[in-house]
Amino acid sequence: MSDSSHEPSFFLKHEFAIRRLHSLLGIIPLGLYMVVHLTTNASLLNGPETFQRAVYLIHSPGKLLPLIEWGFIFLPLIFHAGIGIWITKNAHLNSGKYQFTSNRRYSWQRWTGIIALVYLFLHIMHLHGGFHAEWWLAAIDRFGLGQFRPYNAGSSLVLAMNLGYGIVWPVIYLLGVLSLVYHFINGLWTAGITWGLWISPQAQARATKVCVVLGAILTVISLSAWAAAVFPSDADAVEMRAVEDRMYEAGVESGMVPEMEEKRWHDSSEIEEEIEIEENVQVSRGQEAPAA
Amino acid sequence: MIALDPAEKKRPEFIKVRVKRQDGPGKDPYWQLFQIKYEPELNIISVLQRIAALATTSDGKKVAPVAWDCGCLEEVCGSCTMQINGRVRQSCSALVDRLLEENDDELVLEPMSKFPVIRDLIVDRKRLFRALQRVKAWVPVDSYYDMGSGERQLRSTQEQNYPLSQCMSCGCCLDACPQYGKIELEQREGESDEAFQARELEAFDEGFVGPHAISQAMLFNNHPTGKALAGERLDALTGPGGIQVCGNAQNCVSVCPKEIPLTTSIARAGRATTVHMIKKWFDR
Repeated sequence: MSDSSHEPSFFLKHEFAIRRLHSLLGIIPLGLYMVVHLTTNASLLNGPETFQRAVYLIHSPGKLLPLIEWGFIFLPLIFHAGIGIWITKNAHLNSGKYQFTSNRRYSWQRWTGIIALVYLFLHIMHLHGGFHAEWWLAAIDRFGLGQFRPYNAGSSLVLAMNLGYGIVWPVIYLLGVLSLVYHFINGLWTAGITWGLWISPQAQARATKVCVVLGAILTVISLSAWAAAVFPSDADAVEMRAVEDRMYEAGVESGMVPEMEEKRWHDSSEIEEEIEIEENVQVSRGQEAPAA
Repeated sequence: MIALDPAEKKRPEFIKVRVKRQDGPGKDPYWQLFQIKYEPELNIISVLQRIAALATTSDGKKVAPVAWDCGCLEEVCGSCTMQINGRVRQSCSALVDRLLEENDDELVLEPMSKFPVIRDLIVDRKRLFRALQRVKAWVPVDSYYDMGSGERQLRSTQEQNYPLSQCMSCGCCLDACPQYGKIELEQREGESDEAFQARELEAFDEGFVGPHAISQAMLFNNHPTGKALAGERLDALTGPGGIQVCGNAQNCVSVCPKEIPLTTSIARAGRATTVHMIKKWFDR
């Protein structure tokens, strides 16, 4: 009668390794990447040149970039999010009943994780677009998505944030980024317990102090990044674009920047025109006048 | 601490006690309100004795006496554990005068939330003891032969182990743990008791072992004779329902009536399993 042949599922059997991988990926590469990302964005405060230089550096791997994106960001993120949803689903939150600080942090870790996941989906769609296929990017562009142009980094970012009356996206970004900062820093603290780095209550209290300091620094960085993208007006963006176009032309001239028109800002009518030209006349791009 | 402040004049005449009742396993729970005369220095056990003597709800309805469990009456056996005013603890050490200071309206008694209810405030905690079996929370000395005296324990080891040895298996840590879910199975029609038991154990063995078992594993892994099974305990802690389920909410240590450093044990187990995992990975 008893089904002694019963075997735990693959997931249960390997849950230890899966959860440790989930913990590790949250820090490396995801957390680390987020710190670099936010710091790069905060550099826009110093002016469009600084930010544009950083983006050129990030884009320097060229054709390898999608591989890096998927291998070090998207795939780890999908894994971390999938396991995270499962963890959240199986949590019996009780911070209303047992209002201890660490229990509240536990609940917040799960809430911010879900907020961050929704936010990251919106964020990637809003600026990145998800896939680099031209037809896809052209399709979502009509809905104001996939708006970031790496070779017009600052200006396209500012314009994208100003879509939707300049309030919708800034609010989403503020909420999302702060959730992520909390989720990362609190996750760092719990990972230290999970892996056995800080063991005694005294050690955990010291780790809390370190994490609070790191969290404060990261909050300042993320608010700077947010402000740099949100406060400039459309008119400021046009000024930024002039700087970026100058950098692009000089960069192409000197061979520092590979010529990739699809990474630049174009009027939507111009894009259609360009596709037409490419299809019909087969003019090599090099002879075309760059957009003003 | 326990003696009352004689200057305290404000005493209620009656105490209202709201009890969450359940007539048997799998039945729907329901609430009943009782009212007993105030007496000084009551604990929840004596309140339940008064209610049993009355067996009448506050609106005069005759009901079956509320069932509860207790043993030592001095907070060392754990059998009278229940939720009192929403917080899991022992009813023997829950003093009514203190509870009325926090909430003078009424006392709310509920069974533990993570174990199957047998009747009213009595729950079945066999999963808790199964978890101790899973992590082999014992010293392996069964033998026909005199094995001589044991290894000497360092003072520092003793000091580390003694607090962990105070665990009375009450289950407070499990009840407050947001990662510990209730496992309650029903015997199927035509299923033998043995088959049902086997099915239940399988379900238990896939569930979270819980902080108490992790802490006991650390206690015996730190014991000069107990450490012979250290690897097996760490295997259990990295298996299904092992330490990975812990979400670091740290409620366990906050509600433990014996103030056992459960989260310290969990972090030690985290380190031990990290090393164990790496060793196993390279040594296989």
